[in-house]
Amino acid sequence: MKNAAWPRNDVDRFLLAALEAKGLSPVDDADRRTLLRRVTFDLIGLPPTPAEMEAFVADATPDAFENAVDRLLASPRFGEKWARHWLDVTRFAESTGKTVNFSYPHAWRYRDYVIAAFNTDKPYNQFIKEQLAGDLMKSDDPKVRAERLIATGFLAIGPKTLNERSGLKFELDNVDEQIDVTTQAFLGITAACARCHDHKFDPIPQKDYYALAGIFRSTETCYGTVRFINAQRTAPLLPLPKEANPVVGVPKQTAGERKRVEDQIKSVRDSMKKMKDPIQQFFASGQVSLLQARLDAYDDDGSPKLLAMGVRDKPARVGFGGGGFKGKFGGSAGFSNDGSRSIADSPIYIRGEPDQPGDTRVPRGALQVITKSPLKLAPTSSGRLELAEWIAAKENPLTARVMVNRVWLHLFGRGLVPSADDFGMAGRPPTHPELLDHLAHDFMDNGWSVKKLIKHLVMSHAYQLSSTAKAGAMEVDPDNTLLWRMTPRRLDAELLRDSLLAVSEQLDATPPVGSVVATGGEGPVARRRFGADPIAAAITDARGTHRSVYLPIIRDSLPEILSLFDVADPALITSSRPTTTVPSQGLFLLNNPFVLRAADAAAAKLLKSSDAESERIQQAFLRFYSRQRTAREQAGDWGENQSGGAAANAFPGAG
Amino acid sequence: MDGAPSHVDTFDYKPKLSEDDGEPAPRGRGGFGRGRLFGSPFEFSQHGKGGLWISELFPELARHADKLCLLNGMHTDLPNHAQAFLQMHCGLFQFPRPSLGAWVLYGLGSENENLPGFITISPPRNNGGPANYGASFLPAANQATRIGGFGFGSGEQVSNLRNPRRNLTTQRVQLDYVQELNRAASESLGQNPEIEGLISSYELAFRMQREFPAVLSLSEESSATLRLYGIEEPRGGRGGFGPATGGSATFGRQCLLARRLIESGVRFVEVTMGGWDHHRNLTESLASSCAAIDKPIAGLLADLQRRGLLEDTLVLWGGEFGRTPYAQGDGRDHNNKGYTTWMAGGGVKGGIT
Repeated sequence: MKNAAWPRNDVDRFLLAALEAKGLSPVDDADRRTLLRRVTFDLIGLPPTPAEMEAFVADATPDAFENAVDRLLASPRFGEKWARHWLDVTRFAESTGKTVNFSYPHAWRYRDYVIAAFNTDKPYNQFIKEQLAGDLMKSDDPKVRAERLIATGFLAIGPKTLNERSGLKFELDNVDEQIDVTTQAFLGITAACARCHDHKFDPIPQKDYYALAGIFRSTETCYGTVRFINAQRTAPLLPLPKEANPVVGVPKQTAGERKRVEDQIKSVRDSMKKMKDPIQQFFASGQVSLLQARLDAYDDDGSPKLLAMGVRDKPARVGFGGGGFKGKFGGSAGFSNDGSRSIADSPIYIRGEPDQPGDTRVPRGALQVITKSPLKLAPTSSGRLELAEWIAAKENPLTARVMVNRVWLHLFGRGLVPSADDFGMAGRPPTHPELLDHLAHDFMDNGWSVKKLIKHLVMSHAYQLSSTAKAGAMEVDPDNTLLWRMTPRRLDAELLRDSLLAVSEQLDATPPVGSVVATGGEGPVARRRFGADPIAAAITDARGTHRSVYLPIIRDSLPEILSLFDVADPALITSSRPTTTVPSQGLFLLNNPFVLRAADAAAAKLLKSSDAESERIQQAFLRFYSRQRTAREQAGDWGENQSGGAAANAFPGAG
Repeated sequence: MDGAPSHVDTFDYKPKLSEDDGEPAPRGRGGFGRGRLFGSPFEFSQHGKGGLWISELFPELARHADKLCLLNGMHTDLPNHAQAFLQMHCGLFQFPRPSLGAWVLYGLGSENENLPGFITISPPRNNGGPANYGASFLPAANQATRIGGFGFGSGEQVSNLRNPRRNLTTQRVQLDYVQELNRAASESLGQNPEIEGLISSYELAFRMQREFPAVLSLSEESSATLRLYGIEEPRGGRGGFGPATGGSATFGRQCLLARRLIESGVRFVEVTMGGWDHHRNLTESLASSCAAIDKPIAGLLADLQRRGLLEDTLVLWGGEFGRTPYAQGDGRDHNNKGYTTWMAGGGVKGGIT
């Protein structure tokens, strides 16, 4: 390296070497205001307060930036920001989506688990194991047991076709979805392609897919919901240990409410007796089923049942069916027409067709291409724990690299592997392969600590560069793949909304308990579009002041501010969101009641802050942009006589 | 047509297939060697001077046979919805590429600076989602503006078109201020294309407030026109695995809106209808899907013609692939090896296959 003084840590040495090889050099550093604003948005998803900014600018000690980073990493707001990235990958939502959209009233527990995991810096390998097999991990502490059950919600919150007529197809589709999220989230590969045929690009034969499928088919997915009209695919939920004293998401059911529901059931039942039309009766019985669910959600004393979404092993099959535990039950033993009932290996389904099982069953296991020796599975266990340990092992070549790449992506705007969701042949090769390897090893050596990894990256010189373009570099590397500057990025939808709340001092940083979806109970989402509907009201509410990560996430009905600004679609597994620029975004910022409310609130605060106009404008700049007015801005007259609303509409750039 | 409509039941007449109905499929195709050929349950007959073979599923559209140019030799790389849908829009599914509409807008520009030049009505959120109407490496202003939500039947409204308190004059002052800040931000980064795109997008948003509400409203259309598009038809059944198609009213409104947009100078309009993935119960569900689009499309062609718009408006109909000639239960499976797309207007020679 020519410029030996530039690197501040090992990250910089890798980057500078690559830059100098192309005859490039890094741009100047970002100014201190830009830097604190950038790192505050990146770490906690909010702008710095004017007080934080002024203190940082005034702090001339060499540790000022590191202290700021430590403060941000310790903030409870950190988990709310970084959980959202993980929730994108794990397609978190609070409803089934698909043809009939039913709510998942307990999904919020998984959301809160993820937030807590990032806040407590749960080691990432532990985080993996809990989400895949938390139910199988032993602990004497009921709190830990409850937490791990909730973690397995990872496998239960996916989209589901509740009106699928074939039970077997329903099972195979859900297993497919679980294989997809597991392999994409942790391994950055698309093994689900091998459902119907050997993978077209990657060394994943169809046999491997069904080795994984056997593990998930031996697992019971507990996602709840009620039988209603044609939505007949229901499942139990996981009871949480009472001793764990888990958070209760909804208020007690009063005796009066209970009585009202019981009366309603009675009146529907009475009217059913008079019905002659079987179709009418059928719909009425669906009504009874929905009402009954409102009773079943509570214990006799009116306390809400403590339930979570998640998974557990199916019973081991002992004693009959022939063939013992060698994974060959002969015939269709081990599986009924409605799917599998017990732990068993799965056949290959030719071209993925449920009615075309092959003759032999594939032993449950992991992907051969990255396995030294096959997993050793007890016949009495699904194999999920072993699979989780295989994924979370240091020897797994993908796991740490994929996570390091995800973190890098969210700090630098682009992954070292640009296709963060595809580390396979159809993806794109890393721009800095040695750096990726180095960081992955470092990550594991540091106990898989995400916070340490983030700190390592933001303490690099590269992270602290200005985002200004430079003529020569722009021609050689316009996409900034070599990181000669900081890539300018737009704020995510949640950050935009949270910032509007923050700068207008409306933000209620206290996390809400549970979710509005929990208060709605089990049942179809659309039913509530008519009449009083707390979920629809919350989706369109312009007055909400909690952070966006707590907004209701109903598949196909996302809050407008989120969907307009490119939120991850929870029907899909999303590693990096698209960035669209369309006039409907401009219309939202010009006219939407939520934005107008923020403008009003900000203006009211500013008017109170001082009697002097110029001082108010100064305050507006400090609050909205974390900086003083420039000379140019002072010279113009357009800054005067404007309400704060205009300023709040400005380009939401992190810089 | 999101989901891949069957060509062998609509525009690609296969008399031999009907003859061999129930015979084993050649070369062991379908059902793992046990597949059976599935002759179309629908009658075909010839229409127009060109004698195009069109099935009974499209009685209204068949009246316009001499406007249609049927392309029955279409093929695509993979029989998977997501990849084929992207390939249909962008030419490739492996890498991000601009959508067809983005290219057309980029190449030809728009005729109305107060409206977006590329509009997509109720596109699906899956199958690549916004990538299907994105600008990719073209300037951001070429990407489509979405009307309605995601998915068929999600309405045609554009929200936030009016400010409840400020008139356009005071809002202009406000916007000038915002744009000044945006320009300063762009300059400080050394001409940032994303912020430049955002500046023009804000300007367009502002201008849209003036003109868009009137274009979006169908209230000035006569009831004869509404009938022409099948908007006043009763609501109907469900199509395939998709959401309720709501008879022809929903698609009719969207086609009529498309005409209004074209008439106002929008360069490229896409209207999507889902629910064409007829793996099961093809006879009933395909008929229902076709009934939902027959009158609206026929109405659109007739309306464009009587307004003199058809000669320079190219109408393109199609799905991401077609369906197999052999049965899958009582439906048909995906077929990427041959299917139909048709064109009309825009100088296309009609009445030929």
